[in-house]
Amino acid sequence: MLNVILNIVFIILLPLAFIGVINKTKAFWSGRKGASIIQPYYDVLRLLKKELVISRTASFLFQIYPSITLAAVFMAALLIPFVMHSSVITIEGGFIFFAYIMAFGKFLSVVGAMDVGSSFEGMGASREASFSTLVEVAFFIIMGSIAAITSDNTFGAITLILEKAGTIGYLIKILSIITFLILILIEGCRIPVDDPNTHLELTMIHEVMILDNSGIDLAMLTYASALKMLIFTSLIANMIIPESSPLLLFLLLYFLIVFAVAFGIGTIESAIARLRMSRVFDFICFTSSLGIIMLALIVVSMFS
Amino acid sequence: MYFFLIGVCLILAGGFASIFAREERKGLLFLLFFSTGSFLALVISLDSLFFSTFYCFSFNLPFPAGQVKLLFDPLSAFFISMIAVMGFLGVFYGNSYLKSYLNKDYGITSHYIFLGVFFSALILLPVIRNAFFFLIAWEFMSLSSFFLVLFDRKKKEVISAAINYLVTMHISVIFLILGFSILSFFSGSYDFSSFHNIFNNNRFLADAVFVILFIGFGFKAGLVPLHFWLPKAHPAAPSHISGLMSGLMIKIGIYGILRMLLIMGNLHIEIAYFVLAIGIITMLYGILNASVQNDIKKLLAYSSIENIGIITCGIGVGLLGIVYNNTLVAFLGFFGGLLHILNHSIFKELLFFGTGSVYTKAHTLNIDELGSLTKRMPTTSILFFTGVLAISGMPLLNGFISEFLIYMALLSGFKIHDLNIVIVFMISLASMALTGTMALMCFTKLFGIAFQGMPRSEKVKEVTTDVGMWMLLPKIALAAFIIIIGLLPNVMLLVFEPLIKSFVRAENFSQASFFTFNLLNIVSLVSIIFLSLIIIILAIRSFLLKNKKISLYKTWDCGYQAGNQKMQYTSYSFVGPFVEMFSNLFTKKENLNSPKTLFPSKGHFRVNIDDLLEVYFTEPIINGIKKILAKFIWIQNGSTQIYILYGFIFLILAIIGLFIYS
Repeated sequence: MLNVILNIVFIILLPLAFIGVINKTKAFWSGRKGASIIQPYYDVLRLLKKELVISRTASFLFQIYPSITLAAVFMAALLIPFVMHSSVITIEGGFIFFAYIMAFGKFLSVVGAMDVGSSFEGMGASREASFSTLVEVAFFIIMGSIAAITSDNTFGAITLILEKAGTIGYLIKILSIITFLILILIEGCRIPVDDPNTHLELTMIHEVMILDNSGIDLAMLTYASALKMLIFTSLIANMIIPESSPLLLFLLLYFLIVFAVAFGIGTIESAIARLRMSRVFDFICFTSSLGIIMLALIVVSMFS
Repeated sequence: MYFFLIGVCLILAGGFASIFAREERKGLLFLLFFSTGSFLALVISLDSLFFSTFYCFSFNLPFPAGQVKLLFDPLSAFFISMIAVMGFLGVFYGNSYLKSYLNKDYGITSHYIFLGVFFSALILLPVIRNAFFFLIAWEFMSLSSFFLVLFDRKKKEVISAAINYLVTMHISVIFLILGFSILSFFSGSYDFSSFHNIFNNNRFLADAVFVILFIGFGFKAGLVPLHFWLPKAHPAAPSHISGLMSGLMIKIGIYGILRMLLIMGNLHIEIAYFVLAIGIITMLYGILNASVQNDIKKLLAYSSIENIGIITCGIGVGLLGIVYNNTLVAFLGFFGGLLHILNHSIFKELLFFGTGSVYTKAHTLNIDELGSLTKRMPTTSILFFTGVLAISGMPLLNGFISEFLIYMALLSGFKIHDLNIVIVFMISLASMALTGTMALMCFTKLFGIAFQGMPRSEKVKEVTTDVGMWMLLPKIALAAFIIIIGLLPNVMLLVFEPLIKSFVRAENFSQASFFTFNLLNIVSLVSIIFLSLIIIILAIRSFLLKNKKISLYKTWDCGYQAGNQKMQYTSYSFVGPFVEMFSNLFTKKENLNSPKTLFPSKGHFRVNIDDLLEVYFTEPIINGIKKILAKFIWIQNGSTQIYILYGFIFLILAIIGLFIYS
């Protein structure tokens, strides 16, 4: 019960702090003092109080899609282990459900962006849809390989890797963690795939899709996008932390890892520039090739 | 059984009865006959499905057919009940859809006659157990659907598409005749049950005959590379016919394959891998091409190919489960594949009917000429959106359930400790995922460009009202099916259990069934939690917005003040990055004529993307055949006397053949 409550508390409270840490890191590297880590909470609260401005072109879908997208990401988060390797809802084939619910959110945000008839939002929507085609494949191969090796279809399988695969399990863990790190950058729309701070519409993906959203809708989309990053970070954390660790140690390590990932993202954003749009594809393909290496490892460990 | 036959006769009679009615009343009269007939058929088949009543009827036909047996088993009962319900909705919709074609010399009467013939053949096919009679009914179905496609016969492209369809179906029939005659040659009878031994005696012969029949049925189902008629015939046919062809007729191809599998009994491992491989290729190729189409119906036709691929993939996984003695994999695979047959016919009909409604109002199906329909035709748009979400396999709706079952079959298959299975299932898993995400891309494009944004042409600006209630009703019913199956999949297990049992015969069948039932219970529970989460968040949103002003303003255009509908993303620009990513898989011809003068002048951009297999596979074959056949052109010299001589020679040969045979 405690785990369930902690899971939900983390899902609700942590994502915005995650963004806060990234922004603080970026400020640190550029020599600024930067906003406080809890600044994103103020931003979201401010947005909640604001009125709405809606495009004349938009239809009913434009008003309901941010809520559904948020619900989808929230639901996906309930399927993911946050604290103590346990998720709120554990089901067979959990990762398939997870991927499809995330896709549901993506579907609505793409369609919602197309609703205002802007060429910029069409651009973002088109890129989001095109790039996600390959990202999902990588995710499915990774999670499918883990399911194959552990004979477990739930997300709990990630804790069983070492037990079932022996030493090769370390390699599998490292590869999956790298893939998830890249997925954070892609799904969270961070550099080198997308730059959340740019103000040139032509080069943006996620930010350009929400140009016309305001008030509470924008708040929901901001939160959903932060939660997406936290979801993959939690997967990484649960993969690294040993299963036997007690709650306090777990929480300590968990916060450490979440902080480290956020710090890493901030550092990457300070250190390198965005990739050219046509190079993004190669970057995404990299995840799929990692997946194929995973598959080879699985075959080795299962049949040797 | 007699009730079923009366039902078939009523459907057939309905078409001919429409001769005697006034033009406006023809549809209603046919609907009356059809609903009575299909209701009888539905009752009988549901009775057979749930209470395992094996209705049987047999009669003798003169040489060479012999005894013809009509027999109900779960498989035929499933197909017949699907045809009865979906067919009813199609005819209901067609009645209102054809209103704008009345009294304009379109041949409404012949349309209804052929519709009657089409449905009576379609509904009869699943019970026929005699190869000869099966082929006759098959031919009736193909020929009548040719005339149904040919409805708008004043258009040149309709005629060429219909003839393409006719020829393709006859190539398909050649394979079927070949396969069935080999079987009946060895067994000495046309009865399906006599083929069983042939399949079991000679492994090579069995595989060869299976592949021949698979090709024959594959043409009808639209399996890659035999799919090329689908994207041509669907845009040519009127929308309710496209819906019926895509929803029901191509499934009869799948029925044929399933029937052959049932007759074969014990399986060879090569066949299981073969079916799975074809399924994967079909779904990937179908959706890849669907995403670049500009015409809604062509896009939907390619998406039908994709869904047939998913169905075949599910069946292939189920077959591998049987071969490797894993009941759970077999159960889940077959359940997923068979459920997807039903699901696809539901959402594809919904989408085609939605397309028909758009066409009645906007008179175009080019995605780039539509737009802004969510505001102009709200109810149609919501229903279409439901269909689009379902076909992309989104949770809460039925498409997800069948895909989820196939995924679960693949995941359970990893427990079979076999190298081939792990690799093949992992490839299938990745392909399913890729298909799913490409479907997302394809259908966000379809909905985003064709239904949203500003009107993209003058044609849409004239649309002010939604279609009438009679055109909406069948779509509402279909959308309700989609949501019910999506939220309560556990109920569907009860319907499908006897059906799956006829394929998967194993001792631990009930265990697999129990596991699946629990799985679906949880899926249903999670879906309902998800639905309530959506509702809660929407409620919170409207609560927070209660006393706030919602103001309307123009779309953000980056400070540019003269934005118009021409600046919106188009169908091609939406898939542009995607086409660039997979540029090797498309044959893209770009033609850019940009303004070269200093002052603004006109320019144009045109891009053509052709079906890769059609360009590099089908066309070379057709050209080769054309070359060979050109050498025989002297046979057709136009002189009547010679033709009579041909007839005479044929008769003599037939008589001689008959003597030798008997």
